[in-house]
Amino acid sequence: MTKLKYVGSSNLRNVDGIEKVTGQTRYVGDMTVPHMFVAKVLRSPVPHALLTELDATPALEIPGVRAVVTAADFVDQGNYGWPIKDAYILAHRKVRFVGEPIAVVAADNAAAAQAGVDAIVVRYDTLPVVSDPLRALEADASLIPEVSPTGRGNLCNTHLVRNGDPDPLLAAAPALFEGTYDLPHQEHAYLETEGALAIPEPDGGVTVYVNVQSPHINRNNAAMVLGLPVESVRIIQPPVGGAFGGKDDVLYQTTAQVAKLALLTGRPVRLVLSRTESMAASYKRQAMRIHLKLGAESDGTLRAARADLIVDSGAFASTTPLSSWRATMHAAGGYRYDAVQVDMRTVYTNNGYSGAFRGFGNTQATAAIELAIDELAANLGRDPLDFRLQNCLRRGDLTMTGAPLGSTIGLADCLEWVRNRSEWTSKRATYDAQPADAERRYGIGVACYFHGIGLGGEGVDFATATLRVEADHSLTLTSGLTDFGQGSRTIFTLVAAEMLGVTMERIRVLRPDTYTAPDSGPTVASRASVVGGNAVRVATSKIAAMLDMSAADLLGCEPEQLVRDGEQYVGPDEEPATFEEVVDHARELGFQLSAQGRWQVPEIEWDFERGTGVPYFGYVFGAQVAEVEVSRRTGRTRVVKMWAAHDGGRILHPTGALGQMYGGIAQGLGYALMENFRFENGIPQALDFDRYRIPRANDMPEIEGTYIETHLPEGPYGAKNLAEPVMIGAAPAIGNAFAHATGVRIRGFPLPRVAQRK
Amino acid sequence: MRLVFVVNDAAVEIEAVAEDMTLVDLLRDLLGLTGTKRGCESRTCGACSVLVDGRLTRACRTTAQDVESRHVTTIEGLRGPDGDLSDLQNAMLDHGAVQCGYCTPAMVVAAEALLRRNPSPTRAEIRSAINGILCRCTGYQQIVDAIEATSRGRRAARSSGETASTAHSGSSQ
Repeated sequence: MTKLKYVGSSNLRNVDGIEKVTGQTRYVGDMTVPHMFVAKVLRSPVPHALLTELDATPALEIPGVRAVVTAADFVDQGNYGWPIKDAYILAHRKVRFVGEPIAVVAADNAAAAQAGVDAIVVRYDTLPVVSDPLRALEADASLIPEVSPTGRGNLCNTHLVRNGDPDPLLAAAPALFEGTYDLPHQEHAYLETEGALAIPEPDGGVTVYVNVQSPHINRNNAAMVLGLPVESVRIIQPPVGGAFGGKDDVLYQTTAQVAKLALLTGRPVRLVLSRTESMAASYKRQAMRIHLKLGAESDGTLRAARADLIVDSGAFASTTPLSSWRATMHAAGGYRYDAVQVDMRTVYTNNGYSGAFRGFGNTQATAAIELAIDELAANLGRDPLDFRLQNCLRRGDLTMTGAPLGSTIGLADCLEWVRNRSEWTSKRATYDAQPADAERRYGIGVACYFHGIGLGGEGVDFATATLRVEADHSLTLTSGLTDFGQGSRTIFTLVAAEMLGVTMERIRVLRPDTYTAPDSGPTVASRASVVGGNAVRVATSKIAAMLDMSAADLLGCEPEQLVRDGEQYVGPDEEPATFEEVVDHARELGFQLSAQGRWQVPEIEWDFERGTGVPYFGYVFGAQVAEVEVSRRTGRTRVVKMWAAHDGGRILHPTGALGQMYGGIAQGLGYALMENFRFENGIPQALDFDRYRIPRANDMPEIEGTYIETHLPEGPYGAKNLAEPVMIGAAPAIGNAFAHATGVRIRGFPLPRVAQRK
Repeated sequence: MRLVFVVNDAAVEIEAVAEDMTLVDLLRDLLGLTGTKRGCESRTCGACSVLVDGRLTRACRTTAQDVESRHVTTIEGLRGPDGDLSDLQNAMLDHGAVQCGYCTPAMVVAAEALLRRNPSPTRAEIRSAINGILCRCTGYQQIVDAIEATSRGRRAARSSGETASTAHSGSSQ
């Protein structure tokens, strides 16, 4: 095999780095176009109420106000949502959460738009607020959706796993552990808030620049509620200032709102949410209550697990039916069992609404199981890392769902790596011996995880890419999968450059645009590198084959005889031909130097009714260790250092991959220590960065991270995914380190300060 | 008020501006310098960080009258001597310190302010210098790496008498 130039190189720069580091990148909020109106939104101040009166016409009497839209301006009142069509572009008949948009006003300037919003007449006839998910399931609870999707009140959907019968094994197990875990909501807190700029087109269509993750889904949705053919709606994704799963549904609303206002006024309309609006209006990580029952032999062998999950979806389903499925598939963790059953219920409440967020349900599932496994190991008098090594998934094992593991299993290697690098054994002994009344107590804890690759049973998992050679011999690449800071554009570029034997500088990736990029499904599930990268690989291989034929013809040899020297093609007579010459000759031969590639994940089969089957075609794995210091006086926990190892297959872009790891750990650390998007009777308690704290530089420890390289045969150059799963070990590792330091076991996040004083 | 001040080494005169207009609005909306970002309304995210007379300042906490006769440096003014990337900007790219890029201008500004004040910061001092700027993507580690490497590079260049490709603008006070 030829030596790779870009894959795995530590000298890669992100392809859009220069414009970012010089401040030239234009995010949607930086875009100002001539004759542009600005929009402001009327939002519900109450969690649950009937809209008994809504009169938007007074807004139009405010000087400078140009248009106002409500649910009545959209087809079918703007009803949308997938997989459950239970949401509205603007509130229809009732409001279901604080921050739900009711009307949007376009005006000459922000002050006029706000005055227009303030002039709208609206009366709320309040309904009982449903804030406790268990209460939501009671027969007499106030119904939140218009129609119950299950026919059972606020029960939104269910999932299950049926892998044998754990009950007799649990009943007979010498070591039994049972616990209930409360995992809170979490806010994405991308630094760039949601924004969209709609420009009306002369043909009656509309173009929207919007920082959405999934442009094609957004386009289809906007066309549906606007009553336009899909070709009349063009979605362009400008550079996006972070997403982490959070920039889809909320921007489907925003997109349709500004598009309608642009069509009504015939002028461009821009709407950028304030931070407070963003925090109220955007969806969250689902809060979950997870009840676990684990049984093991006296020698520590895990036998059986039973898990019950209650998932708070909030006002709308959004993608919670999918992320709750992922939580269900991972609820007993990356361990060997004889039998596992899981039951999951998703519930409507008035607690905002929830959807996709990094880890997609497995963040919460892993947090619970990893805190529980640690407690079970302690009950057995076992070292928690040894206990995990004894039970973790290895080659030939079946997962907790009874499915095969796939071909690359690096979990034990990850655990060994973090054990060695953290000096686990000696620190564990030292901290075990520290005095109970010390002002600063230290602890070290571990967590590990497994995470299914791609969408699994969540949907058809494909991507499409196009590549063409331009007249100036540069290459233009498109993908429907998008980059919101995680580096997909760089990954796509390096895969194409590597395969084609050209420099990365020769390739330009177009911004995602529904007019030029083919539909690739949603950019979620950390699937861009594997699925999107493979689509690029397929497209590139078609161009490469044409150029090989051209070069062979030019150099009078067979394509198999060609070797490459830099970009040059060299024949058996050692005569070189430049890339440009080969391209020009290919055109003379009549080749059309453009190609499209599509790649789809190997089929999986999950029986949703029975809870059996194969949920994913393969898995990634990882382990993390946290060392913490807990002050007796202040109760404050500080993470001193972290070690992290992840099996992400072949690593395409090591510097970028480490950046994903460090950033993921920061979000996990925030979840464990300080982030807690709390609702009290449906009222969000923190809507700014003063009250909703996310980690700052001084909150973060130094992290020593590595990738345990395996080779996924299906992945581009053997790559697996990494961006989401690298976050999910952090919070439970910190929780377990806290327990080691204080002797206090926690059953949820964030770490309670009160308990720390014990 | 009539405002006269210096932005990125160029004198700027604005005939009529509200005294209480924030510097971030002034830079973005009146001068088109959109490298300075808005990220919150609670004056906590630091995305709007600029230098005022060389001192790191949140542009959302500063008003037009505060900057009268002063030197303001934004990301647009922090290039290397030839208009190329500065050593710090190159280091940010080489160390993977840039993901979504939204906090990046503020991070570059804060790092320049630090390195001019303290040419040999420890990693802890670097962390404290950027503690006022939120980043949700990177976990900060590669930003700290980049600033540390820049500081090392500048020290080496100074001791060997070479001129580093240090960003040069906006240091005049």
